[in-house]
Amino acid sequence: MKVIPIYIEAGISGFESPAAEYKELGLSLDQLLIRHPNATFIGQASGQSMQGIGIFDGDLLIVDRSLAAKNGDIIVANFNGCFVCKIIDKVQARLLSASKNHAPVKINQGDDFQLEGIVTRSIRLHHQAPELTACMH
Amino acid sequence: MYALVDAVSFYASAEKVFDPSIRNKPVVVLTNNDGCICAVCPIARKLGIPKFKPYFQVKAFLQKHNVVIRSSNYELYADLSERMMNVIARYCDNQHVYSIDESFLYFKNYGKIIKDWHQYGHEIRRAIWKETRLPVGVGFGSTSTLAKAANHAAKKLSGYNGVAVMNNAQQSKPILKQMDVNDVWGVGRKISLRLKQQNISSAYQLSKQDPKTIRKQFSVVTERTVNELNGISCLTWDEVKEPKQEIFSTRSFGQRIVDIHSLQAALTTHGAIVAKKVRQQSSLVKKLMIFASSSPHDENYYKQVMIYKFPVATDNSCDIANAISLVLTDIFITGVRFYRCGVGAIELESRTFQQPDLFVADNSNPALMNCLDHINNRYGQGALTLGAEGQTQLWQMRRDFLSPQYTSNWRDIPKIRC
Repeated sequence: MKVIPIYIEAGISGFESPAAEYKELGLSLDQLLIRHPNATFIGQASGQSMQGIGIFDGDLLIVDRSLAAKNGDIIVANFNGCFVCKIIDKVQARLLSASKNHAPVKINQGDDFQLEGIVTRSIRLHHQAPELTACMH
Repeated sequence: MYALVDAVSFYASAEKVFDPSIRNKPVVVLTNNDGCICAVCPIARKLGIPKFKPYFQVKAFLQKHNVVIRSSNYELYADLSERMMNVIARYCDNQHVYSIDESFLYFKNYGKIIKDWHQYGHEIRRAIWKETRLPVGVGFGSTSTLAKAANHAAKKLSGYNGVAVMNNAQQSKPILKQMDVNDVWGVGRKISLRLKQQNISSAYQLSKQDPKTIRKQFSVVTERTVNELNGISCLTWDEVKEPKQEIFSTRSFGQRIVDIHSLQAALTTHGAIVAKKVRQQSSLVKKLMIFASSSPHDENYYKQVMIYKFPVATDNSCDIANAISLVLTDIFITGVRFYRCGVGAIELESRTFQQPDLFVADNSNPALMNCLDHINNRYGQGALTLGAEGQTQLWQMRRDFLSPQYTSNWRDIPKIRC
């Protein structure tokens, strides 16, 4: 016997969500915080010398290499083989801290100095992130 | 106009990006299992360290000169490669990524926009250095073979400082004259030996040969090379992009393997890698080669190769794992200390033109494989594996001098002193 299946239809369907048409892609922190993804890296602050401008030990720093540094920018540099985060004083070639306990550092001829990028954002983690805990020391 | 942009000793340069303490030091990078030197930074090159030398042979020399040694950090290189390629892509609308650190560009109708290719090349170099901290060489040429030659000149010959242009015979001649025929793109070691027997030793001499005669003596490929050296474009992107005819995954072990379960795990892992690559290029495996061996330096060298032919070509990782289980007992012998193993798809079919078998059930399960690939693409390679691949991977490659994964693991992000 051949049977042609016909499904019973009650003609009842729920209301389509009135918000369906307004669904967007959601918010991405990357999109907000990172302008130049290819030129940006994320580092972690270690030390107290930048607390005056709100960068604390353990904060995440978003560093953009593609921007040109202006006087007074918060920068990351390779200073004698070590990444440092400071305020750049281009006029007197100095690295300034944001703390009374740390004196400005003059960049001398013999120093190995390369500007690595501009700190465009810093992020404080008020709760510990387990992914990062190995670095907290 | 074509261009080839590639990084200067990419692996070694990549190691310096996030480790400022080694920027001014000689750095070498070792291959899989820390066996050989595969990259030498320019500072280390000045010390006379040769590429492809076994590590143990130069260990004392490296120590004496305080050379920084690194294992291959593929996670870091892949990330930096992608960034570099993205920056390059801004400079041309037709980009072909040729390898992890090489990218061809084809400038069609750019003549009116770009007046000075030299300057444009330096612009590309500066942008890549500023944004990724990778040094590159840029070569321009009226064919891709000339672009490759110009790139060679940009990096190796003095006076070019990272950029060379070969747009006409006048610009080409001095570079081709200084270039060994062996360094010409598309000329292999064997062909260059035969050319040298005929006193054709420089790229310039090769360019002066009659293409038709070269075709008779060598092949159509070498004929094209001669034409390309003379500015006649013969190679197209599609030819370079053609799907691979064979796909292999093979490696020597970090530690010798003596039990059958570890060998199965290692072979299955290689099988899964092959299956994934096969799916990526929309192929199917018809014939699979499975092999394992002890070291050729061992006293009783043992090697066994098995070929498995699938009744119906497949791209299913499970089918490949089953094939490996079937031949495993023919490969494994108690007492052999296995040093190396691998799996290769040696006969591939196109999925689009598959010939199904009327009498064999189709158990390819594309939905499952799709799901597997999606999960691994999203959560990282190895997030989801076959049970037979095992959990403890003692046989994994040795990487004793591995640098942190600065850009792909939160625990490894660079520390910045405040």
